[in-house]
Amino acid sequence: MGGFLLRKAGAALVVVFLSSVVVFIGVRALPGDPALALGAENRDPAVLAAIRQAYGLDQPLPVQYVKWASRALRGDLGLDARQLPVGHTIITRIPITLELALLAVLIGVVIGILAGVIAAVRRGKLSDHAATTSALVGLSVPHFWLGLMMIIVFAVDLRWLPASGYVSFHEHPLSNLEHLLMPALVLGTGLSAVLMRQTRSAMLSSLTADYVRTARAKGLSERSVIAKHALRNSLITVTTVVGLQLGALISGAVITEQIFVIPGFGRLTLEAVNERDYTLLQGVVLVAATGYVVVNLLVDVVYSLLNPRIRVSGSNTP
Amino acid sequence: MRGSFKRFAFLALGLVLVGALTAAVAAARGTKSSASKIRNGGTLTIGLAEEPDALDPTIARTFVGRIVFLAMCEKLYDLDSHLNIVPQLAAALPQVSKDKLTYTIKLRKGIKFNDGTPFNAAAVKTTIDRYLTFKGSVRKSEISPISSVDAPNATTAVLHLSAPYSPLTAQLADRAGMILSPKALASGGSFAQNPVCVGPFSFKDRVAGDHITVVKSPFYYGKAKVHLASIVYRIMTDPSSRTQALRAGDIQVEDRIQSTDVPTLQKDKSVTVSKAITIGYQGLTLNLGNKNGLLKPYSTVDTDLARSQFLRTAFDLALDRTTINKVVFGGLNQPDCFPIAPVSPWYKPSTKGLKCNLHANVDLAKKLVKASGISSPSVNLMLGGTDPVTARLGQVIQSMEAAVGIKVSVTPTQFTTALNRADAGTFDAFAIGWSGRVDPDGNIYGFVSTKGTLNDSGFTNAKLDYILNGARKSLTTKSRNTLYHAAMQIIHAQRPLIYLYHPVNYYGITKKVTGVQIFGDGLIRAQFAGYAS
Amino acid sequence: MSFVDTSVAAINPRARRRRILRRRFMRRPLAVAGFLVAIAFVLAAILAPVIAPYSAGATDFNALLAHSSRHHLLGTDELGRDVFSRILWGARASIEAGVLATLLAMAVAVPIGIVAGYYRGWVDAAIARLTDVLLAFPFLIVAVGLAAILGPSLTNATIALGIGAAPALIRIARGEALALREEDYVRAAVANGASDLRIIARHVLPNMLSTLIVQATVAIPAAIIGEAVLSFLGLGVQPPTPSWGVMLSDAQSYLAQAPRLAIYPGIAIFLCSLSFNLLGDGLRDILDPRTTR
Repeated sequence: MGGFLLRKAGAALVVVFLSSVVVFIGVRALPGDPALALGAENRDPAVLAAIRQAYGLDQPLPVQYVKWASRALRGDLGLDARQLPVGHTIITRIPITLELALLAVLIGVVIGILAGVIAAVRRGKLSDHAATTSALVGLSVPHFWLGLMMIIVFAVDLRWLPASGYVSFHEHPLSNLEHLLMPALVLGTGLSAVLMRQTRSAMLSSLTADYVRTARAKGLSERSVIAKHALRNSLITVTTVVGLQLGALISGAVITEQIFVIPGFGRLTLEAVNERDYTLLQGVVLVAATGYVVVNLLVDVVYSLLNPRIRVSGSNTP
Repeated sequence: MRGSFKRFAFLALGLVLVGALTAAVAAARGTKSSASKIRNGGTLTIGLAEEPDALDPTIARTFVGRIVFLAMCEKLYDLDSHLNIVPQLAAALPQVSKDKLTYTIKLRKGIKFNDGTPFNAAAVKTTIDRYLTFKGSVRKSEISPISSVDAPNATTAVLHLSAPYSPLTAQLADRAGMILSPKALASGGSFAQNPVCVGPFSFKDRVAGDHITVVKSPFYYGKAKVHLASIVYRIMTDPSSRTQALRAGDIQVEDRIQSTDVPTLQKDKSVTVSKAITIGYQGLTLNLGNKNGLLKPYSTVDTDLARSQFLRTAFDLALDRTTINKVVFGGLNQPDCFPIAPVSPWYKPSTKGLKCNLHANVDLAKKLVKASGISSPSVNLMLGGTDPVTARLGQVIQSMEAAVGIKVSVTPTQFTTALNRADAGTFDAFAIGWSGRVDPDGNIYGFVSTKGTLNDSGFTNAKLDYILNGARKSLTTKSRNTLYHAAMQIIHAQRPLIYLYHPVNYYGITKKVTGVQIFGDGLIRAQFAGYAS
Repeated sequence: MSFVDTSVAAINPRARRRRILRRRFMRRPLAVAGFLVAIAFVLAAILAPVIAPYSAGATDFNALLAHSSRHHLLGTDELGRDVFSRILWGARASIEAGVLATLLAMAVAVPIGIVAGYYRGWVDAAIARLTDVLLAFPFLIVAVGLAAILGPSLTNATIALGIGAAPALIRIARGEALALREEDYVRAAVANGASDLRIIARHVLPNMLSTLIVQATVAIPAAIIGEAVLSFLGLGVQPPTPSWGVMLSDAQSYLAQAPRLAIYPGIAIFLCSLSFNLLGDGLRDILDPRTTR
């Protein structure tokens, strides 16, 4: 177990290191001189040169990388173009996206698993068709469009919910939920479609498995067979799927935050790209990549605890 | 068939559930208490359209940043409602020596910075020296003719210039005139993270992408005039949510209402809509001589527009500025053909007798295209932004030019990338705006003089250079008016830039608040505002 | 036709299998419907210049935001352009991005995946790390980054989408190659001294084809939506070229005045990706009996 963990953690470290290099080079591959962004309406070549010097942009790339990376290792992601600490900015933005993602996962899991179980138990019946068709529809609908439609219906026409913006929870809890309801629904329904499909097929295979048959033979009620045996085993698959959907969730958050104007992590990313704010963009992408690797590592570990066979094979695919 | 009906019912049920949930939330919303009204005290929340950049006047560059500075960083000079320059921290307008190389500025007495330290000539010297020498200073080029600063006594600052520079006083009425606390500068921390100047309000905190808070200063010399306890600048980049927040009472002042929301807000009885024709402009920079890059030797580029002045005139005549304003901006901007805005006292004298076509003249344009001798002329128009409004502007221009036989292709480009290409000279025409300066020099010199650092057009005209340099040195309004009129004639005929309109900004202010002022510079002046009782 | 088919089938087992598959496919009305709608979109894309009543950029400043009428089936947009025509023209960008991005992803991922799965060892480990790195960046972030680096355009958005979709496909191709390598007939070929290239070409690739086809039909709608997202964010197709994502982005400022501008392009994206998804589900059912939908 220890060796397995060490190997996984080592691999994760390598991935984080490579990611930091990719981020660093990628950011510099963006067209558009950041000195021009910093100089704004001032484009005197002498001023631009001074700006480059002040921000260390005139140094060789490896030097710039080592400076940035060694500071980042100590937890200092540098100052952005507004002269504000990048780390602090990221820390204030992440909870917003996390709250959104959490609500979305909640909605996705409840709808997805419920629909999946019902569809599997009533296989071939009407409710199965209804659930599978809605899942297919859910997979085909562009979610940002769904967001626009919700704004038209609930914000513009009915005036029930605010069209956009964000209020923090401690400032006004109810208003916070009002602002996040539509975005979370948009993000969550996308997840629920994937989850519904996975739950259904996992349930179908476990419903025909031997131990479920045995449980039935022992005379257990159908309800407890489903709840205690089939569902519990299917949940392993479902946990993995939620973990794997993390990337999709982050991607979804970027555009959802853009449509509903939520000042979260995703919007921060787009702002950094648009403003050519190198330090900010590097910090944002590094944190995103590291977070993703760490979560994947956790999923691997949890999964190997649940299913010891994985450890032996040592496969990269969870 | 039966199946699909059930599916529909299933979907409908889902929608009903969502509806019920939202209804419950919406019903609970009605219980929010309304803000109480007080004469002194209270917090004013302003919804800003963009995020300010660094709150250090040395490197600050954004328009919205200037709005925040207004409350906490006073300047040597300020503007009044007619855009005249008036003393603020200075006691009077500068005394200029005969050779125009020495500016003596008397300072007001008994003023303290917001950290309690005294404001004096030494602080002026420290600040201006910083503007001139700080690595990456954006102020440097605005006041570069200053060669040294003296502080003979606590209330006198003397600026020595290397060459006459008439826009200097105007520059000192903007960020270059903001005086920073030497103690705060010496503390070693980042000034932008804790700025200290003289001002009615002092900096409290800032959360990137969210808000900036300033609170009433106990040290301010005129604190009797200050009513509000604090001002919160909320960053709300989405225009619809800004308007929504204003109507919901979450903010009291809305920075720049988007054109589609203006009619709605004008009907709202709880809100006043103010407008300000800005001193900036939106135009098209035509690449005439920028072959090798900005400030590299200019020579005529090989494009249809650069080759023929007839074609440039035709290009301009094809543009229906009134229709552009109607279609793209809901008719809310100020169509015009000149770099100086009609709100400026310099506008009338400098544009006298020059024709501006607010409507297209398609027939004449077609004739001029023919006269240019260029068959099927084409232009690539680079847009300095990828937002829908800029894209709309590009497409409207495209279709107007098509009507006279000029084929325009449109390239929307991210702003910084577009600046790069503009400076490199790899463009035909570039749609870009200028935020505007009070002194006419700031809207003209950099763009069309051979040595101008914003001359992306690569325009070079010896006569124009002579006139513009003369205008910089000349100090009387009358002689400068004459010179700018002559300059305008050359620009208008040669068309290194085609000016389209002056942006008009609309601001929403709740009626509960009084004393919020908007001048022609488009800044929100809320430092002396308060809640009406 | 059927006469020719049966005569061939009698001698050719491949043709026979094809016929069986076709019959199985025809028994699934949803899959057939998906197929037909997908074909309709492809045709709309190809024939847009012929069937669209207006050109995509034809403005009419006297008919801004017009409602649907005899002249304009779905009304006009904020520049007085015919919405119906723009949706037809917009199909081009979507279909092009969907199909080409998928082909690109396949072209990149399949060889890499096969090499990793077939040779295993350090090659596999290196490739696995590389895909891990690529997967560490969420798909949209990669696409946004690439589109920003390469400059926004349909071609670059397509490349970004293709590269973004590749890592997941590498894993699938690798897994298939890994499993196929252990099959008896591959082992037999290795024992007979066949070259690696020959084994891969004759045994590995053909046997993973059905999986790849199913993956392609899943990847196409994802790329169609991806193109719409990138264009919506201003990183894909650039105006004035019409694209459904661009139309939605334009419509955002008019949600209150003319919500229809946001409704129609969205429906087009939805129908287009739904048709490919239905087709994909149908193909999966008939080609890949292992998975239960």
